Amino acid sequence: MMLRAPLLAFLLLAMPGGAARAEDLVSGVSQDTIQITSNYTGTDIVVFGAIERPQNIQGRNIVVVVRGPDEAMTVRRRSRIAGVWVNSDAARFEGLPAYYYLASTEPVARIAPPDALARYGIGLQALKPSATGSHHDPEPFRQAVIRHLRQTGLYVESPGSIDFLSETLFRTKVPVPAGVTRGQYNVEVYLFRDGEVVSAQSTPFFVDATGLERRLFNMAHNAPLAYGLACVAMAMMLGWISAVLFRRPD
Amino acid sequence: MEIYLPVAEMSVNWLIIIALGTGVGFLSGLFGVGGGFLMTPLLVFTGIPSTVAVATTLSHVTASSMSGALAQWRKRAIDFSLAGVMLVGGVAGTLFGVWLFALMRRQGQMDLIVSLTYVIMLGSIGFIMLRESLATLKAYRSGATVSHHVVSRGWILGLPFKMRFRQSRLYISVIPPIGIGFVVGTLSAIMGIGGGFIIVPAMIYLLRMPTRMVMGTSLVQIIAVTSITTVLQATHNFAVDIVLAGLLVSGGVVGAQLGVRAGAKLRGEQLRFLLALLVLTVGAGLAWQLVARPADIYSLAETAP
Repeated sequence: MMLRAPLLAFLLLAMPGGAARAEDLVSGVSQDTIQITSNYTGTDIVVFGAIERPQNIQGRNIVVVVRGPDEAMTVRRRSRIAGVWVNSDAARFEGLPAYYYLASTEPVARIAPPDALARYGIGLQALKPSATGSHHDPEPFRQAVIRHLRQTGLYVESPGSIDFLSETLFRTKVPVPAGVTRGQYNVEVYLFRDGEVVSAQSTPFFVDATGLERRLFNMAHNAPLAYGLACVAMAMMLGWISAVLFRRPD
Repeated sequence: MEIYLPVAEMSVNWLIIIALGTGVGFLSGLFGVGGGFLMTPLLVFTGIPSTVAVATTLSHVTASSMSGALAQWRKRAIDFSLAGVMLVGGVAGTLFGVWLFALMRRQGQMDLIVSLTYVIMLGSIGFIMLRESLATLKAYRSGATVSHHVVSRGWILGLPFKMRFRQSRLYISVIPPIGIGFVVGTLSAIMGIGGGFIIVPAMIYLLRMPTRMVMGTSLVQIIAVTSITTVLQATHNFAVDIVLAGLLVSGGVVGAQLGVRAGAKLRGEQLRFLLALLVLTVGAGLAWQLVARPADIYSLAETAP
């Protein structure tokens, strides 16, 4: 996990200057911020790019990875004790992204060998968080996190979803569902040639709440006492108003 | 139809939430209970994180109870002195419950203890109410006069610190009401409920209060306890979602008014019979969840803030 950022920086610096003749990549994102408003139900961002100095189309692959902010996650496993299902084991993971979307020209297993994918953190199986827990084998717990987040649409692998507009121009649509966390998201675009990364580019975008939503969220965290009292006052007021409105002429 | 909840950090269909609020509000107006024991499981079912569901339901209970309490107040069916005495125990119980909550959370068995408490409480109270109301209904049908024997109250009559509660026509020790308040305050903090389904039977069967006074008096107690718990949840867990609360409350207050009207058309034992059925149904549902094999034995717990 820690290795990824320096590795990318290295690639970004080394690739264009190092070999003038090598294939290269430019990419961008349709939006640099996504504003969560009261009627936010999810949106799409478009990641686009172009290959410079293109070579043979055979053996060339594009992988787009969108990664949300890291979150600590706890998974519990239930087992049956005296007829009742009880949480018995737990594992806590650090360094799993809250959102992970992968688009690629082919299933990633066919693009590069597992060690290359693991190096760049490409594919859900390459997510290797650090685990602490009451059980000696965190693997089934890790699989459970991935399974759960896939069901909620926060972890997606979508091979074959990159559209080529011409031989060198491509784009892909990345859904940003309603359940996303606020924070910085990174779009990483990789150009693979025969199983090796030859160019990569990383572009961030931000998901943030605006207007009333943002003020409420901030108030809940910065002035929790006033926020709690406001909730109580609102509940009492609405209760009182309704009692007045519905008063029977008796 | 979708609206974004800033604290829960998710979108929900606001029509469904308002409908939930109205439905549960109707039941709370009808029976004089807050409805938290129904609302919390229902919200979790719609996908709202359980901490937010527990903390936000309390606002719904506050509002429904407020609306219901004002309706009862006009009928002069609130015993404020008894409610005040119970509240002394209620405040102490809430603080104790919040402390206990933190302790159980550290042990990692919060969910199980909450579910077990629900099943035991709902099961036993539902069963007692069902049996009593059926006996009364049967006697009523056969034309016999129902005599309310003062049974099993001997020890309560013997307690010191007696106080006269004029409106309820009671002369009892303050210890049982304070005790009931304490137990309910504790359970409120742990289960995220107002505790009406415990207070109401306790007042009827333990204190022998007139059923007419029970509704309004318990609602006053519930308003106070849920308000305190809401503030504690907001300051300790940042788990109260004001947008969700607003939606639930808007539906809830309308439902509560309709419920109070419907309740006026039914007799006390009929109400208790219906409430007993409802309580037993929810209890059985929760018991089933405890023993049935879960769809996935792994669950993703929310990480504490």
